[in-house]
Amino acid sequence: MEPLIRLEEVAIGYGRRPLLAGVSLAVAPDDFLAVVGPNGGGKTTLLRTLLGTLPPLAGARRTTGAVTVGYVPQRDHVDGLWPLSTGDVVVMGRVPSLGPWRRVAAGDVAAARAALARVGLPDLWRRPFGTLSGGQRQRTLIARALAAEPRLLALDEPTNGMDPAAELSAMDLLRDLHRTGRLAVVMVSHRLEAVANYARTLAFVDKDQALWRVGSLAEMLRPEGLSRLYGQEVEVHEEEGRRFVYPVAGKEPP
Amino acid sequence: MIGLAEFWAASPIWRDPLLASLLAGALLGFLGVYVVLRRVVFVSAALTQLSTLGVIVALLVLERLELETEHQEIQLVVAWLFSVGGGLALGTLRWGRRLPSEAGVGMAYVLAGALVILGANRLIHVAHDLNTMIFGNAVAVPFQDVVILAGVTLVVAVLHTLFQKEIVFASFDRETAEAMGVRAPLWSGLLYFTIGLAIPVAAHAVGALPVFAFLTIPAAAALVLTRRLRLAFGTATALGAIAAGGGYLLSWFLQTPTGATMVALGGLLFAASWLARAVRA
Repeated sequence: MEPLIRLEEVAIGYGRRPLLAGVSLAVAPDDFLAVVGPNGGGKTTLLRTLLGTLPPLAGARRTTGAVTVGYVPQRDHVDGLWPLSTGDVVVMGRVPSLGPWRRVAAGDVAAARAALARVGLPDLWRRPFGTLSGGQRQRTLIARALAAEPRLLALDEPTNGMDPAAELSAMDLLRDLHRTGRLAVVMVSHRLEAVANYARTLAFVDKDQALWRVGSLAEMLRPEGLSRLYGQEVEVHEEEGRRFVYPVAGKEPP
Repeated sequence: MIGLAEFWAASPIWRDPLLASLLAGALLGFLGVYVVLRRVVFVSAALTQLSTLGVIVALLVLERLELETEHQEIQLVVAWLFSVGGGLALGTLRWGRRLPSEAGVGMAYVLAGALVILGANRLIHVAHDLNTMIFGNAVAVPFQDVVILAGVTLVVAVLHTLFQKEIVFASFDRETAEAMGVRAPLWSGLLYFTIGLAIPVAAHAVGALPVFAFLTIPAAAALVLTRRLRLAFGTATALGAIAAGGGYLLSWFLQTPTGATMVALGGLLFAASWLARAVRA
């Protein structure tokens, strides 16, 4: 299957200073890629390079045709001060496809309402966005991304600051959207445990260790690879079909 | 205090300034919603200073060339260049990862202010007119200024009607807009272009202090009153016009300084909005 987006031997970074070089990555149309690494490790920079909003400092970024992207930023980056209803925010997802000369039509509103229903919030259309709970805001931002009818859904730390129940619910929603929506998912997280039960492909990135690895979930969850990422020995346990990642106290990596 | 009969008799004098005040208040009130929501209130202060610097530069050049300093069109064009250029630079350029954008705004404000003082110090021949040229004089606005202000208001209205959804998206969530293919720098640039276009003409008509005030107070009052963006734009536009027009009329009757009266009325409207919100809650 032809990848939607490919990075070939790319160097990522801002200005002229590369944070990380030699990054190669391909996102297939049915992929669920999780990019994991510590805070400040270069995950968001990689995501921006992948989406084309940050040009690579070296190497090439290639796409197969026009890739419609639905993007979900970190929840805290979106200002709750704006006097917008939940519906207003979701309708913004239609703006890229409309272009500058066309106005929002009834069909766009219907698509936005359908997207809000898909994330389980059909009754919140008129609710002020600023009054939503953290979890509801996150779902609204996912609905806005879905309203664009994307081929690729990209999310930056979507479960950041969520309690465990809300995190589980958000990740289950992403899994369902991936399975039923025929769209590739790329998400960035600093918590491996949050993505270990959902991703198909896993990438580790840490600019401070010049670390870049990408592979299938099973391959990447081997203890020796994880130990390098975390700087200490790590074990992965499976209980009732869910994976849990534990650091082993007092042991240095092999 | 002036009586009503005396006021009506003087209508040929106050008609154009009142019209200019209404237009400036409405225009700045509308744009102020973006200024307040994007948290760039001090960008408008810096742009007002840059616009003033443009007038000073034009006057210095005209004086050096021994031309008439009364060429207000040239002053306006140079003020526009400074204001629009400053708006595009302050609003769209990124200052790298070492400096917050507020540092650029602060530097532009104080440097432009210092250069205005230095430049004005050399303009001894026009010193007596300088205050009016720079800070406006809503008491006597020529009809030509009203026409220019109406033209700018029309241009801003058309651009914001055509591209509102893009400007709102780029202003509300630039990161997502860019990631989803909306050219956020272009639309932010357009917004700052319109702010830069409005400031010099409004400052020339009503003064620098009311310009800064009308880019802040009506929008703040509107955002206290409403939770819908469209209503906020409408309310801020109306409150801006009321503060400017009402302030102008009050200053006639009370014989008070015009710009300061406009700003004070704007402050009262904000207090009333806050009170109305508190009562409603």
